[in-house]
Amino acid sequence: MIQALSNRREGDASLWRRGRILLTGIGLLCVVSIVFLVSEIVQELRFLNSASSDNVHWVLSQSEVELLEFENAVIAAQQDGSQRQLDFLVVEFDVFYSRMTTLAVGSLYTDLRAINEFGQPIAEIRAKLENMIPVIDGSADQLRQGLPVLHQEANEIRPLLRRASTTGLQYFAELSDRSRASVSWTLLRLALITVALLMALVILLGHTRRVSKETENHGYELADAYARLNTILETSLDAVVVSDMEGRILNFNSAAERIFQHSFDDVVGKNIGEIIIPDHLKPAHDAGMKRMRETGEQKVVGHGRVRLEAKRKNGEVFPVELALEKAQADDDELLVAFLRDISHRVASENELVEARDKALAGEKAKAEFLAMMTHEIRTPLNGLLGNLALLEKTHLSKGQDRYVRNMGLSGETLMHHVDAVLDVARFESGTSTSKEEVVHLGQLVQGIVDAQASAAEANGNHIQWGWLDEPLEWVRIDASRLQQVLLNLVGNAIKFTHDGRISIEMEQSRLTGEERALEMRVIDSGIGISDENQERIFDDFQTIDDANVAGVSGTGLGLGIARRFIEAMGGEIGVESTPGEGSVFWLRIPVVPETGPKVSHIPEQPVQVVPCDLLLVEDNEINLEVAREMLVSHGHTVTVARDGEEAVETANTRRFDLILMDIRMPKLDGLGATRLIREGGGANHDAPIIAFSANVLPEAKDRFTAAGMTGFLPKPLNENELRQVLAKFGPGADHSHTTDKPKVEKPMEHAVELSPLEKLKHRHIDETRDLFDWLASAPSDHNEIAERAHKVAGSAAAFGQSGLREALVAVEMAAEAGDGSALDSALESARKAWQDAPEPTLA
Amino acid sequence: MTFHRLAIALTFAFATFAAPLYSDTLPKPTGPVILTISGEIENTNVDGTAQFDRVMLRALDNAEIVTETIWTPATHTFTGVRLETLLEHVGAKGGLIKATAINDYTVEIPTSDATAGGPIVAFAMDGQQMSRRDKGPLWVIYPFSSSSDYRTEVIYSRSIWQLDRMTIEE
Repeated sequence: MIQALSNRREGDASLWRRGRILLTGIGLLCVVSIVFLVSEIVQELRFLNSASSDNVHWVLSQSEVELLEFENAVIAAQQDGSQRQLDFLVVEFDVFYSRMTTLAVGSLYTDLRAINEFGQPIAEIRAKLENMIPVIDGSADQLRQGLPVLHQEANEIRPLLRRASTTGLQYFAELSDRSRASVSWTLLRLALITVALLMALVILLGHTRRVSKETENHGYELADAYARLNTILETSLDAVVVSDMEGRILNFNSAAERIFQHSFDDVVGKNIGEIIIPDHLKPAHDAGMKRMRETGEQKVVGHGRVRLEAKRKNGEVFPVELALEKAQADDDELLVAFLRDISHRVASENELVEARDKALAGEKAKAEFLAMMTHEIRTPLNGLLGNLALLEKTHLSKGQDRYVRNMGLSGETLMHHVDAVLDVARFESGTSTSKEEVVHLGQLVQGIVDAQASAAEANGNHIQWGWLDEPLEWVRIDASRLQQVLLNLVGNAIKFTHDGRISIEMEQSRLTGEERALEMRVIDSGIGISDENQERIFDDFQTIDDANVAGVSGTGLGLGIARRFIEAMGGEIGVESTPGEGSVFWLRIPVVPETGPKVSHIPEQPVQVVPCDLLLVEDNEINLEVAREMLVSHGHTVTVARDGEEAVETANTRRFDLILMDIRMPKLDGLGATRLIREGGGANHDAPIIAFSANVLPEAKDRFTAAGMTGFLPKPLNENELRQVLAKFGPGADHSHTTDKPKVEKPMEHAVELSPLEKLKHRHIDETRDLFDWLASAPSDHNEIAERAHKVAGSAAAFGQSGLREALVAVEMAAEAGDGSALDSALESARKAWQDAPEPTLA
Repeated sequence: MTFHRLAIALTFAFATFAAPLYSDTLPKPTGPVILTISGEIENTNVDGTAQFDRVMLRALDNAEIVTETIWTPATHTFTGVRLETLLEHVGAKGGLIKATAINDYTVEIPTSDATAGGPIVAFAMDGQQMSRRDKGPLWVIYPFSSSSDYRTEVIYSRSIWQLDRMTIEE
């Protein structure tokens, strides 16, 4: 609006300028015309004034008169020759002579004399007069005697003079005509210029009227604009306060009146600092105004919206948003402040912040709850499973053994469910991060197939894998997640397929550049999935309630996790299925092939562990017992402590090879105890301290490391993991290799020959042979027979020797039953089955 | 009778008292008279007129005018007596001068023309006294070249030559 007005004003100014230039031009033209005219007229007047003509007509006639008078005088002298007459004659001669001289030499007649018709007769007359002079000036007698000659001469002069006079008259008449023509032309021009001048004046008048009309219109427009501006100011929701550079208030709109509770009349002319600036901001305000006046420096002016505080009439200080601008009005500078009462907004912002803080606190509480639950569930579960493992090693009746195994199975399922929930929670909270590594795809899949072989066997399924075309060997990929996804898919396939076939097909295709697309399909010949179920199985907590799959339980989280992982890898996952025929679960992910098999994660070799002197810190009695039993059974020396304080005391007494430290403990927790041991400078200040916790969240591990812990061992205690940790951190371990650095890959053929699976196979063969050797010695301990038969039966199932397995199970059951004859018959069958058993394989 | 006597007496008295009115205050001319001024003048020398010969005019304050004229071919130096000087000299009281030439050509010159920078009654041109044949003996010359005010027909008509008489009138 104001911008528009100022543009208008500029436009008007240019119009005015143009008008003024035009006016000046016309004025100059007028002046020039007038000067020209005046000079013309002055010239004419001068011409008229300087009468160069004398009274020419009179002169020419007079000369004839004077000739006649001279002639008369001659005639009179001829009649009366008195001296008086003679003197009179001389006078007349002189008069005529004088006249002729004037005509002959006067400058007035120069032009005329150039005309022959005038010049020649005059010259002749002059010559005649000259000839008369001796007679005229001679004695009286001579004059009397010459009178007839004079008379005759005068007669001769007369026609000459007549001719000259006529010519002269004609010449001057023409001159006069020309002069008149010149005057009339000048007058005509005068008239023309006058008309032009009049027209110019008319144009000027028109222009002046137009300009004055425009000025008038501008006046109206300005008044309208001012009225509009006032309306805008008055209806603005923001307070608008206008002051001069001294801070004196010039304008205070109604929004300002409403916000600050001052009326316009009360504040106009007063200093803005005293009216709306809160007392604590006043020094800053005064300094700012002073600075701006003196140096022109502007900290707030023209810097957009600033959040400040202002004061109401009742002294209430409230938050405002302020935009301050400097404006130029004629020669005066003005400050225009736009203020918005934002107390409501600030209040709601504060509420929002509070709500956010609460939500964050809620999230934190959830995370804490999750960690707590993990610990609280895993710890007792750990106890249960550990004790079950111990129980399994004692002498149990056949029924008890089955119960124990069932309990173990249930416990493991429960643990699996807890882990699944944890996976989702970790992924959603973003604490689960992708970790790429270089792996051999074939080995990865082979590992999964190996691990699932026994389960597949149990359901009577045959499992196999292979590439459709050219295999892709070494790739960079998040192997751990891919492994988990494949395990889930293969596990599901096994679960829902009975006496069928499960195959894993792999195929590679080229993407842009080095990148390849890896497609993996887990194909089963199982019960299949209906179309409507296909749509929801990748959602969380989706299980299929179907009579066909009764007895197969799950959290319904496995595929949800698989989908999350695959999508996080930039891939996709899906299913195609026909109920009753089978399902194809496929996944497609981008992978980057790696050229050299420099590093890989070959499953760790079973490691030989040197017996250690250990300090075990655990507050839970059951867990303590389980762990101690396991450690002792591995040949380690175990000292126990039941809380952090006790642990620190014991650690001060002597050096341990390794300390296993629980985290959550009464009195002093594991982290505090670790710090004290590390800082105490005692015997174990540099001993490896391994966190022993059910809290497996990555951030928990970071916390443990920060507290000075060397490693981590998850609960429940797993023999293999325990062995790995002891090998890594126990005595004799090479501590320069204690980091997670992958081991250098062994040559391929060697790796194939000595793969752990092969070793397991050999071990199985050895164990089987040992069992039958021992059985041949006719042992009497039925419990031992059952136990050893059970162990080998499990291996036989894993290695595809189902006949042997069944036979050994029969031996186990007979031994448990204490039925000697049945045992003998079972032993016989078993020996036969052993001999008939196929070469152990894992696929 | 008495009336007759009285008339004679009055006539006598008039004649007696008229004589001093012609008391001549100017010197008398000795050479040929070239200018006679009559009319409303205070100073006279012959019969109630002021008559001047060439010597008398030269004896007065002379003045020069250098000017062109339309009647002569070039610029000339005219020497003579200022009209103003001449009128003062004769004690002229009128406002109009009737100037007459030898052939009785007469013009009227208002005495207001007779100013300090005004016309002269010239008796010499380029140092030579002017003969009657050369527009002499006297020629009223205005300073034509000095101003266009003097180059008008009226002024030209007042520039009378072969002047020999002047009559001062009211």
